[in-house]
Amino acid sequence: MSAFRLPGRGRIDVARPVAFRFDGKAMTGAAGDTLASALLANGVHLVGRSFKYHRPRGLLGAGVEEPNALMGVDRGPGRHTANVRATTIELHDDLTVETQNRWPSLGFDLGAATNLLSPLFPAGFYNKTFMWPRSAWETLYEPAIRRMAGLGKAPHAIDPDRYTARHDFVDLLIVGAGRAGIEAALAASASGERVMLIDEQPELGGKLLANPARWDWLAGALTRLDDAGVVCLSRTTAIGLYHDGFVGAVERLTDHLPPATATGPRERLHRIRAARIVLATGAIERPLVFADNDRPGVMLASAARTYLHRYGVAVGKRVALMVTHDSGYQVAFDLAEAGIGIAAIVDSRPDLDPSLKARASDLGLELIPHAVVIGTHGAKAVTGITLAPLGSRQVRKIACDALLMAGGWTPTVHLWSHGKGKLGWDEALGAFVPEGEMDRVTCTGACAGAIDPGHGVHAEALWSPRDPASFKAFVDLQNDVTARDIRLAVREGFRSIEHIKRYTTNGMATDQGKTSNLNGLQVAAGALGNTAPQVGLTTFRPPYTPTTFGALAGSAKDALFQPTRKTVIDSWAHAQGAVFENVAQWRRARYFPRASEDMDAAVARECRAVRTGVGMFDASTLGKIEVVGPDAAEFLNRMYTNPWKALAPGRCRYGLLLGEDGFIRDDGVAARLADDRFHVTTTTGGAARVLGMMEDYLQTEWPDLDVWLTSTTEQYAVIALQGPRARDVIAPHVEGVDLSPEALPHMAYAEGRICGVPMRLFRVSFTGELGFEVNVPAGHGLAVWEALWAEGQRHGITAYGTETMHVLRAEKGYIIVGQDSDGTLTPDDAGIGWAVGKKKLDFVGRRSLARPDMLLPDRKQLVGLLTDDPHYVLEEGAQIVDVPNAPVPVPMIGHVTSSYHSPTLGRSIALAVVAGGRARIGETLFVPMADKTHRVTVSEPLFYDREGARLDG
Amino acid sequence: MADALLADEPVVRDGIAIAWTPPAVRYSLRTRVPSGLPRLLASARFADGHALALGPDEWLLILPDGAQPPTIAPLHALTDIGHRNVGLTVAGDRAAALIQCGCALDLSLATFPPGKVTRTLYDGVEIVLWRTGEAEFRIETWRSFAAYLHAALALAADDL
Repeated sequence: MSAFRLPGRGRIDVARPVAFRFDGKAMTGAAGDTLASALLANGVHLVGRSFKYHRPRGLLGAGVEEPNALMGVDRGPGRHTANVRATTIELHDDLTVETQNRWPSLGFDLGAATNLLSPLFPAGFYNKTFMWPRSAWETLYEPAIRRMAGLGKAPHAIDPDRYTARHDFVDLLIVGAGRAGIEAALAASASGERVMLIDEQPELGGKLLANPARWDWLAGALTRLDDAGVVCLSRTTAIGLYHDGFVGAVERLTDHLPPATATGPRERLHRIRAARIVLATGAIERPLVFADNDRPGVMLASAARTYLHRYGVAVGKRVALMVTHDSGYQVAFDLAEAGIGIAAIVDSRPDLDPSLKARASDLGLELIPHAVVIGTHGAKAVTGITLAPLGSRQVRKIACDALLMAGGWTPTVHLWSHGKGKLGWDEALGAFVPEGEMDRVTCTGACAGAIDPGHGVHAEALWSPRDPASFKAFVDLQNDVTARDIRLAVREGFRSIEHIKRYTTNGMATDQGKTSNLNGLQVAAGALGNTAPQVGLTTFRPPYTPTTFGALAGSAKDALFQPTRKTVIDSWAHAQGAVFENVAQWRRARYFPRASEDMDAAVARECRAVRTGVGMFDASTLGKIEVVGPDAAEFLNRMYTNPWKALAPGRCRYGLLLGEDGFIRDDGVAARLADDRFHVTTTTGGAARVLGMMEDYLQTEWPDLDVWLTSTTEQYAVIALQGPRARDVIAPHVEGVDLSPEALPHMAYAEGRICGVPMRLFRVSFTGELGFEVNVPAGHGLAVWEALWAEGQRHGITAYGTETMHVLRAEKGYIIVGQDSDGTLTPDDAGIGWAVGKKKLDFVGRRSLARPDMLLPDRKQLVGLLTDDPHYVLEEGAQIVDVPNAPVPVPMIGHVTSSYHSPTLGRSIALAVVAGGRARIGETLFVPMADKTHRVTVSEPLFYDREGARLDG
Repeated sequence: MADALLADEPVVRDGIAIAWTPPAVRYSLRTRVPSGLPRLLASARFADGHALALGPDEWLLILPDGAQPPTIAPLHALTDIGHRNVGLTVAGDRAAALIQCGCALDLSLATFPPGKVTRTLYDGVEIVLWRTGEAEFRIETWRSFAAYLHAALALAADDL
């Protein structure tokens, strides 16, 4: 047993030694230790280097308030976690940790040179120095600063861990399982309500765990809670409190286990909705601000008590205390009773509580009233302190190996503050406490300001006879902010505490000011000549402590990142070697390469097949909406630009949907199945949006219409057969439909059966060829596809994908909404003004189409472009200019929207929107690209079969 | 339905069993005349199957495989969605806890008793959630979301 471990004390199990590695060095602790307590037991005080000045740092606290001891924990490949507080790392076998922000080693850190240069790094140093050249910020300054001043390294490997989540619903949520939280849970436990008690520590009990006299009570209380069915979660941190009783909490499941034995998810995110919330989050002891108060060995008095009673570790062998508050005395008494030497108790107050004085006297402790510590000594650990009576220069030195600070208590009001709870100044505590009411939320115990460890004074930095500019008295140990920095910020004109915070970085980053906020506020208030409540407090923001991205992402990664929607024909396409692309959430076959074909070769072959024989295409992803009811035609008439009322059952019509602004939103073909029933199709990506828009109008504008909408996108698999021989492929399998051109002409619809299953048959074409779209119930889709594929073999049938579909439709000048349109095209702009019913009195967007701006001749209009070089394929999105050598900025008059090599024409084609484009047909324009400026000729947006005769095949 | 999708073996974990439902006939029924139909968010026997009230004028009818379209009073809309939807059953003592992993609804018996039904989300996927017993739920979703939903439930069951 080490010299610092105290036999018979603590809740650890010394009979179960735990081996771990700290900066590569093998050490041993005990089961129940944290890394922090194990290091102290091994006599290690130096645990890190500070953020900016690389000063040696030791443990300040024993819990989540710890600002210094940030570790990198390595749990194997991809499992490196940076910035973990040593005080929250549960010791386990094979624990491997490394200190951070030091090079080449923790003991000898070259970065410490910044400490010598520190007069060059005042508050706001970065803002003042690295201002220009602007470009150097990203390339030079920021990377260099990040290397020098920083915390741990962000991991690069993919996190192999799993994270899970759960929604919890409770009547009462209690955050914090210290005395107050447990009492609240006990009070509610008999009510039959659903009660949940959560605490961030591995054991429930809070500060009771550092109070052996209460251990029996604690054990009994936890048993009663368990018997009453109260859900008690340890290792569970409430990271944020939101509106309506919603609390986010992260439960750590495996980090406390040796990596080899850890199974299952690493963390669980609890999304808790509570009818009532009790915050029993306790309080954090406040450090004191004096010269060199950051030397290893200087720590919070309460932390020393926790190390003593909970972990059986002495923080030193000769311990001094600097107190401005009564609560420090109890720590001194406890340490003395445990046989630890007390060098002195220095108290800044002149008049001390007689009972404390008497107790100190009984224990033989030296008590030095009305004096302050004005400096500490030692290299990498404190070896002594200098103190002076208040107002005097008669300094005295005392040797010690630890200095404890008792500066009073700060209620942990972070969660209350997240919920927009008001805070009021408590003069006795020298702290802000919850004030007023919050829906569902109450505070209890120390969090509510009910702290009774005696009295104290709450000043800013301790008085010193030395020139304040000659030393560093740290306020924020994590961000290396000194009292001098805060005073400088005030001198430079900062008045708002929020601005002072950002200028000095006090209370920022992972620490969120747990030990620094109030001291920073006091120093700022002093410099401003104002009182703390007048200056106010900065806002606490979630999360309370650093939270893994994994916990927030949950299962949303890899295959579960988001749904990949597949059609029923997807498996066939996969087996055929299709190359896929994602369209919205759908996975669609883009092309079907054979042997060594690249995309261009495959697409050329597929295009030729459709133009000369027959192609087969999975169009199942098309959005489908069944519009049913006596007012179905009236409804569509109001939604779409086209006239619908006269459309006869058995006929199809191209429908164009606008927004109220008159711009194209979606399009698709709809068939009238019966007087009161339409089968409407939408774009693949627009399906949900169009249905939502229709429902919106139906429910809010026209609730009187008797019509109902149902998404049938996934009810039907859609097999498109396109090409001169399309009819030959389906004819042998179709029953009950006359497929002749006379009975079923272009844009006709029929119902029958195919391959023995019900079919909705559309004679439609998005390729310009004879075409059919066979709709069958999805469960039969693959079987019908395979039957038609087999039938088609004798006709040379070719499966084609979305890329070929794009080329074929571009040859015909059919637009794709969202590619050729961008939310600013009217039907006339897109060259489909014919789809607007001229006699219709109203439809969505009609009024906007009459606005003067919508009728200007120089609006961007859809045209075709033909490059001078027939082999050059323009880049989609490329800008178009009129005069290529005009001075910069060259006026841009449009852009390329679609561009392909057309196998049918043996040259490149493009669609584009060009200002006043239709009046420019035949003109030459220019498309500047990186390599050269390309000459193009404006054409009609129609490159093939201008008469449309092939549709009628 | 001869779907590869539905070929997966049932997922069985401690207190949980997840399985695909057999094929069924399904209709979306819309009408302003709810006579003979359950009230909002409730379910009831209907034409050899069940009617599930999803909205003030919307019912999901789940009928046995092979059932003929039901006879309904005038002024309604009946749309075949038998192949659009896929059904899953989630049964067992921990079924409610499992579904609460991805669904932000309180599934305690007091607030979500047997027979209650609602349209909601599981991990961002639209589902119809129907409690068919104290420890049994039926989930309906659209076909192309089913594989994702099944995988998400199975993973959550592993980690529950």
